[in-house]
Amino acid sequence: MSFWFTVLRQVGRNLRQTWGSQLMTLLTVSLSVLIFAFFSLIYTNMINFGEKLGDDLSLIVYLEEEPGPELQQQLINKITTFDEVEKVRFISRTEAYERFARQLGENRDVLDDMPKDFLPPSIEVVPLKNLRSLNQVKLFSAYLSRLPGTLKVQYGQDWVERFYHFTRLLSIIVLLSGTLLILTTIFMVAYTIRLTILGRQAELELLKLVGATNNYIRTPFLLEGLLQGIVGSSLGIVSLYALFQWIKLRFSGPGFLNVFEFSFFPPAVSLSIVCVSILLCTLGSYSTMQKFLRI
Amino acid sequence: MVELIKVSKEYPPDVVALKDISLSIGVGEMFFVIGMSGAGKTTLLKLLCSMETPTGGLIEISGKPIAQLRGYHLARLRQKIGVAYQDFKLLTDRTTAENIAISMEVSYKKPQIIKKRVRDLLDQLGLADKHDTITGELSRGEQQRVTLARAVANSPTMILVDEPTGNLDAITTERVMNLLNKCNKAGATIVIATHDDSIYRHTSHRVMELRRGRLHAVSGGLP
Ligand SMILES: Nc1ncnc2c1ncn2[C@@H]1O[C@H](COP(=O)(O)OP(=O)(O)OP(=O)(O)O)[C@@H](O)[C@H]1O
Ligand SMILES: [Mg+2]
Repeated sequence: MSFWFTVLRQVGRNLRQTWGSQLMTLLTVSLSVLIFAFFSLIYTNMINFGEKLGDDLSLIVYLEEEPGPELQQQLINKITTFDEVEKVRFISRTEAYERFARQLGENRDVLDDMPKDFLPPSIEVVPLKNLRSLNQVKLFSAYLSRLPGTLKVQYGQDWVERFYHFTRLLSIIVLLSGTLLILTTIFMVAYTIRLTILGRQAELELLKLVGATNNYIRTPFLLEGLLQGIVGSSLGIVSLYALFQWIKLRFSGPGFLNVFEFSFFPPAVSLSIVCVSILLCTLGSYSTMQKFLRI
Repeated sequence: MVELIKVSKEYPPDVVALKDISLSIGVGEMFFVIGMSGAGKTTLLKLLCSMETPTGGLIEISGKPIAQLRGYHLARLRQKIGVAYQDFKLLTDRTTAENIAISMEVSYKKPQIIKKRVRDLLDQLGLADKHDTITGELSRGEQQRVTLARAVANSPTMILVDEPTGNLDAITTERVMNLLNKCNKAGATIVIATHDDSIYRHTSHRVMELRRGRLHAVSGGLP
């Protein structure tokens, strides 16, 4: 009881004495949390988006000849040796013709002069619905084009590749901002606490002389780091949430952002970002104390 | 209580502050250390409270050598030793009461107990009206008493006092000595370094004289 009373009073003193740099640290911490969380939010949303697009993704393998049942089985085996797939479906010449005719609708009479088998037979391959296979789509299509009797392989080459590069870039940015978060929190917190320690050298010396234990001297500083972590990271997450709501309000209605559903982190993720920041801040203050506060 | 065996202290580069001091101070004893300026009195006290480490010899307190003490155990030892420093070591931007309270706060005394003890000590030392004064604004004689109050506040088992009466008039000196005697009666071992012969002239306690770092003589004390 009196332990916490003394410790809290000490924390209060520290905050009052160096509030300028404390505020700076707080802002830095919350800003780096904000930046990191911002990019991770975009990243996770992109991944969700990619999964949804992946739902519609299929590769069409055009064949020279219509395969017999035996050859069909062989082809399926070959395809599945590359990767698990969601679905493989054979489309015969006539099926292809009918499908095309259906797509033409009213204009189907242009087909009247064509033979019913002018379209090549094909295999429709639907890959598994996750981003890993989406990224692998290129490799997959190269593999499929080497199957015996294939004419060519078709899929939404363009956007798949672009999307793939975009998410790659995003993941790099997330990594970078994560590193930034770690560095700034640890170093800024360590730095302010060092400042406090240097500013109160006389008092800390005296405390040691009158028999203050390591715990007595250190707990206030640890608590200070903890506080920086809690307030700083919560501030960062809350401002991201506000930003998120603002953007949603601003850009709702028809437009680009409506193509996919934009959603905020689930509470557990926000909480773990806060927790990790707290951990980092405490680590920062702890490392400084190891260097500057020893009996 | 305290055993010193051939204790020496040398400051770099080659200042010999203490040389081969062997000495034993009993529990509850009041012990005077005298000597000219520079004789090594302050150095001796600093060794006793483990603020400095001896360059030679052995110091034991309550049967335990204090040289190897670290961390928690060192802190506990220091809580049991109250020191009134010659240079005061007050926090000059804090009030008198806060300065005195520090020595009790480190052993987690309850705030009410601390408050009461502080008032009590200030009364005894004639500083009752300085409770909320910043110690930087006090006179040297007043600061000296605040240091003493801080040293005795936590009721330590050993009290080391360096020049407690240097800046004081006769009446205030008596107040200070009364307080120290009271602590001594309560069982504390007290070591006083001084050149003020008015406080040890008529004493029945032992008086040790240092000369240029060496033990010159020990006199007095009951046989
Ligand atoms: N930190 C130090 N570094 C170097 N020399 C020191 C140090 N502290 C004390 N000395 C030297 O050690 C000797 C003893 O000093 P000490 O302070 O113990 O004397 P003292 O008896 O307390 O003197 P005074 O009565 O003036 O307080 C002196 O010659 C002093 O110059
Ligand atoms: Mg001295």
